[in-house]
Amino acid sequence: MGSSNHSHELKLSKFEAPQQLKTAIFGAMFIGLLGLAYGLLKAPDRFWTSYLVAFFFFSSLALGGMFFTAFNHAAKAGWSASIRRIAESFSSFLPAMLVGSFVLILGFKYLYPWADPSQAHRLTGGKALYLANWFVILRLAIFGIGCLVFKKLMVGNSLKQDINGDHALTHKNVGISIGFIAFFAIFFTLFSIDLLMSLLPSWYSTIFGIYMLGAMLQSTMAFMVLMIIWLRTSKWVSGYITVDHQHDIGKFMKGFTIFWAYIAFSQFMLIWYANIPEETEFYLMRSHSGWLAVSVALLIFRFAVPFLALLPREAKRNNFNVATVAVLILVMQYVDIYWLVYPNFFDGEPQFGFLEISVFIGFAGIFMKLLTGFMSKNNLVAIKDPRLHEALNHHVTY
Amino acid sequence: MAKKAIGGIAGIFLDEATTVNAARKVRESGFTKFDALSPYPIHAMEEACGIKRSPIPYVTFVAGCVGLLAALSLTYYTSAVDWAINVGGKPMFSLPAFVPIMFELTVLFAALSSVGAFFYLSGIPRIDPPIIDKDITCHKFAIFIPENDVGYSADRAERLLKDLGAVEIKKMAEY
Repeated sequence: MGSSNHSHELKLSKFEAPQQLKTAIFGAMFIGLLGLAYGLLKAPDRFWTSYLVAFFFFSSLALGGMFFTAFNHAAKAGWSASIRRIAESFSSFLPAMLVGSFVLILGFKYLYPWADPSQAHRLTGGKALYLANWFVILRLAIFGIGCLVFKKLMVGNSLKQDINGDHALTHKNVGISIGFIAFFAIFFTLFSIDLLMSLLPSWYSTIFGIYMLGAMLQSTMAFMVLMIIWLRTSKWVSGYITVDHQHDIGKFMKGFTIFWAYIAFSQFMLIWYANIPEETEFYLMRSHSGWLAVSVALLIFRFAVPFLALLPREAKRNNFNVATVAVLILVMQYVDIYWLVYPNFFDGEPQFGFLEISVFIGFAGIFMKLLTGFMSKNNLVAIKDPRLHEALNHHVTY
Repeated sequence: MAKKAIGGIAGIFLDEATTVNAARKVRESGFTKFDALSPYPIHAMEEACGIKRSPIPYVTFVAGCVGLLAALSLTYYTSAVDWAINVGGKPMFSLPAFVPIMFELTVLFAALSSVGAFFYLSGIPRIDPPIIDKDITCHKFAIFIPENDVGYSADRAERLLKDLGAVEIKKMAEY
């Protein structure tokens, strides 16, 4: 069907990270170590805030990959069978996420008012129990270990299928995915509340978990677009990953851009309208001096520009256009988490410097190390997926 | 009374690949107004038939922008000019409060205009082509060449469709 204009030979070879990339990864991890040493010795406060932002950024990508895999299994999607392995490879960061959340415990006293006994009076109602150190750690452990278990089951089944081609594994993954989505909905909400919302323990926003979910999915789709462009123009894969997949992930990216803006505005408008002191506090901190510029930048560069830039069909099929928007979205995902964390510590002007950059680069190094490790150990495409033929014949109509 | 549909020659096909291939060959032999009928959407069919992209998305975009501005003017005029009421001490012109209305009217204008443009472009309520075979809604495919097409002759169309693998040729009269 339609093979005349989509003729391509199917080719799949073993992935091996190019030497420059390997060097870059080691360089990045080294810069991260420098940041770690400098931060812990000279400015532990700044180090831990940088750590939290970068940790959440990369955890979001890993979780987004899991979530994408899960909803495609749950929907029994055929079109995405050939690009599912890309999303699955993001989950290689999950062990680092578990370790990283335990490392974060060391930074509790620098980051969270609730970890400081002298601030106990700010924790009213049930918050003193909910934000007790042991309870937060327990939730982090449940989330980290739970995600690893689901990764082992869901991604593990997919890898097993590469070898034995057993169709039953695909059916099994439907149930596992639905379980993961339910687990994820609850514990990702708590994860965002515990790590980001509780920086200001007196503030409430019931939509916060969904806000972080929207941000997570938008940035994951942006990263997937970049991976698709990279692989589809590479020498390792040809024919399996096509411009039509890029187009559809581009559509997802635009869809979640709108979703993020919808949730962000819903949160803002209700707080602005009701004007209750414990809620407006959050926006007051972000509506003066340098922070106002960051807030407005989020509206423009995380919603308006990507939305308009992704509207034309050709914009999603042109590698350069879609990659530029994807990079912009990833930058804005960092700015968004930064905007959630930093105003709690630096009330006057936004602070950004060596520590933020080096810690982020260090995390990027670990992320890419694990990602390329996964990619060179496994096939780049789920070659024995029973729905692969649907993905190979996937065409986006006008 | 105006003609509801024009006549022509229809070829019935039994499988998807032959139909797509036949559509491409019919286009290459110079026909421009022919149509392909199928019980379900076939993704490669647009380019086989040489169908251009629909202009509906542009209509949607422009109508959406008009809706956005219409809602902005409506909320501004009613809340800040004509009947200004102080609500909760907010300024008369409070953009955040207007955004939901702007969003809704953007969607409403864009959606209704798209449906309208679709009706206009597809010529509804005209029936075109005529009803050929009830099995086209179930398991058969058809290519229909209308009699007002470029270089149409009943013999030529019939021979072409037969050569391309049509299992049955139907002559459709206008009505």
